[in-house]
Amino acid sequence: MSQKSERRGIHVDQSELLCKKGCGYYGNPAWQGFCSKCWREEYQRARQKQIQEDWALAERNKLFHCNSSCSVSVSRVRLQREEEAAYASSQGAQSQPSLAPFSKFEEKKSNEKTRKVTTVKKFFSPSSRTASKKESQETKTPSPSISRQASMETDRVSRDFIDFLKGLQKPGREIHKQCRAFVESMGNKKDLSAEELSECVQDFYQNMADRLLSHFKGSTERVERVMDQVEKYLMTRLYKNVFCPETTDDEKKDLAVQKRIRALHWVTIQMLCVPVNEDIPEVSDNVVKAITDVIEMDSKRVPRDKLACITRCSKHIFNAIKITKSEPASADDFLPTLIYIVLKANPPRLQSNIQYITRFCNPSRLMTGEDGYYFTNLCCAVAFIEKLDAQSLNLSPEDFERYMSGQASPRRQEPEAWPPPAGGSPALAQVYQSLELLSGLGARQERVLEGARRLEGDLIDWRAGVEREVQDILDRHPLDLRLPPASAIDSDNVENDRLPPPLQPQVFAG
Amino acid sequence: MAAGGAGVGNKTYSFKVVLLGEGCVGKTSLVLRYCENKFNDKHITTLQASFLTKKLNIGGKRVNLAIWDTAGQERFHALGPIYYRDSNGAILVYDITDEDSFQKVKNWVKELRKMLGNEICLCIIIGNKIDLEKERHVSVQDAEGYAESVGAKHYHTSAKLNKGIEELFLDLCKRMIETAQADERAKGNGSSQSGTGRRGVQIVDDEPPNAAAAGGGCCSSG
Repeated sequence: MSQKSERRGIHVDQSELLCKKGCGYYGNPAWQGFCSKCWREEYQRARQKQIQEDWALAERNKLFHCNSSCSVSVSRVRLQREEEAAYASSQGAQSQPSLAPFSKFEEKKSNEKTRKVTTVKKFFSPSSRTASKKESQETKTPSPSISRQASMETDRVSRDFIDFLKGLQKPGREIHKQCRAFVESMGNKKDLSAEELSECVQDFYQNMADRLLSHFKGSTERVERVMDQVEKYLMTRLYKNVFCPETTDDEKKDLAVQKRIRALHWVTIQMLCVPVNEDIPEVSDNVVKAITDVIEMDSKRVPRDKLACITRCSKHIFNAIKITKSEPASADDFLPTLIYIVLKANPPRLQSNIQYITRFCNPSRLMTGEDGYYFTNLCCAVAFIEKLDAQSLNLSPEDFERYMSGQASPRRQEPEAWPPPAGGSPALAQVYQSLELLSGLGARQERVLEGARRLEGDLIDWRAGVEREVQDILDRHPLDLRLPPASAIDSDNVENDRLPPPLQPQVFAG
Repeated sequence: MAAGGAGVGNKTYSFKVVLLGEGCVGKTSLVLRYCENKFNDKHITTLQASFLTKKLNIGGKRVNLAIWDTAGQERFHALGPIYYRDSNGAILVYDITDEDSFQKVKNWVKELRKMLGNEICLCIIIGNKIDLEKERHVSVQDAEGYAESVGAKHYHTSAKLNKGIEELFLDLCKRMIETAQADERAKGNGSSQSGTGRRGVQIVDDEPPNAAAAGGGCCSSG
């Protein structure tokens, strides 16, 4: 894992995002940091134990039912586990043999109890492709489980949505009713494929937009405003069910892209012709910000918020280019830089996010607006990274192969040691920056000292000059003291000479 | 597939226009001249010149133009379709002093026709840098003849001298409005735009590599 240590700075969060069990899939805090499959496994194990204990203690009838249903899912989970193990080994994903200590689960058990019902249901939900139609039908409850899982965020968004709609008065109520009905109907459509789900949501958008358009008499701006809110409300509620659904291979693609980007860790700014000079602190600052933004995208739920992250990332890139080149960036500059940023950031669940935005974003925003442009560029960047070969980096196929296989690193051949290497971590870059600052300070101090010394010399010279001058003047005008008359008190007396001579002290003999 | 928000009463058309062309042919200068009326200006305040918008009023019809610049370097060629899907118009730029860039335009046209069909995209072909007439390497007859043969319009422009740019965008807009209106009529006063385009990202496999490896080396914007 040499590349891992080299890219440490950014990838700490990345690895934290991965399943704790090290299967290579992404984990989820809601599942204690496991991926869906591992979580299920672990949860099953913990549950199984608990059930046995409980059984031994008191034979409750309720548990009977629960257990019988569990045994079915356990067998399925075991099957999945085997499949997964096979997959993991073929993928060669890094294995972290750290299983969370069992005691941890004991602690969590109490929390789990409250969620038991829904989770058990989830095991039977159509997310597992093998589940028969009949089984999945059974799990459909009249009250959608979405409402039960409603987190703080969904509550807040719902409240905001209602507040917003209140301003619209009567149509607002209508919109709210429709949206709620739609969310509920989506709750029953879990067994549809992602494309079909997307179709449903997009049809809903379309209908809603058409109706709003006739209501607002063609004012597209107001329609857009309402549609933004509708999208926010809908997608916050549907997110859990439609983001990276198990019916698609999004997760697999995520892994592939992630692996690909890791394998390309050696790509430098020069190879991509990125017009950005990271030695300028301001530029590298913008680069770091861009990286942060593109990683942050994964944490948002609403497609539009995700788009906003991409847009912010793009603006930082433009800033970096503008500072470096001091002219507005064209697409010729922008795309390579974005590719470089994506390579450096290795954003989590990149494909899932792109697919999610494509499927569920309001199309008017995605197709024409500025956000759409940046999103398109991101798609381009990912496509480029997936297809990248020796030619696209101006390398010979042999070199490319060697770099890819890790036999050689292009960086080592570069003599430059002082400027931060292109793939260096931000902390390291910071250190370099500080060092540079320090050396700058040193130079300045040197200059100040020199100035002081010069001043000292000047002072000495000046003193000598003054002395010389004084001497000159003294030489030219030799001291010619004309002693004034001894008595000065009456010097201004005009008739001085007429006065009798002053009395002289007289010495008396004896 | 007009992305135009064709409302009921007073219409506002929204058009997406892609700029295609090799690096260094002056795509960026062209749009900057059009949207900001600036050329190689040290005082250009825009942060970027890759996505620009312009509002127009043509004969009482309001038009919102979104101009998408594309990366012209050869290695990004395969990404073209991602950029130009759902676009209403395409502007293909070549440099009259560079024969290669004209060849590239021909490739683009072929690809556009293949991907988007005949009606959707209006290609306008631009011979840029006519201020360098002395170094012309693409003959006027060739270029105009070719444009006509593919149903595109040809313009001579100079971003430096601000020649022909206003006209070309105006003409493009008029043609896009016509197409949009024809679409509406075909749909039968279609206020319902069912089947709004939204496709997953798809990339076309590279065309068989054209042997033209001699393409202009560096890729700073023109």
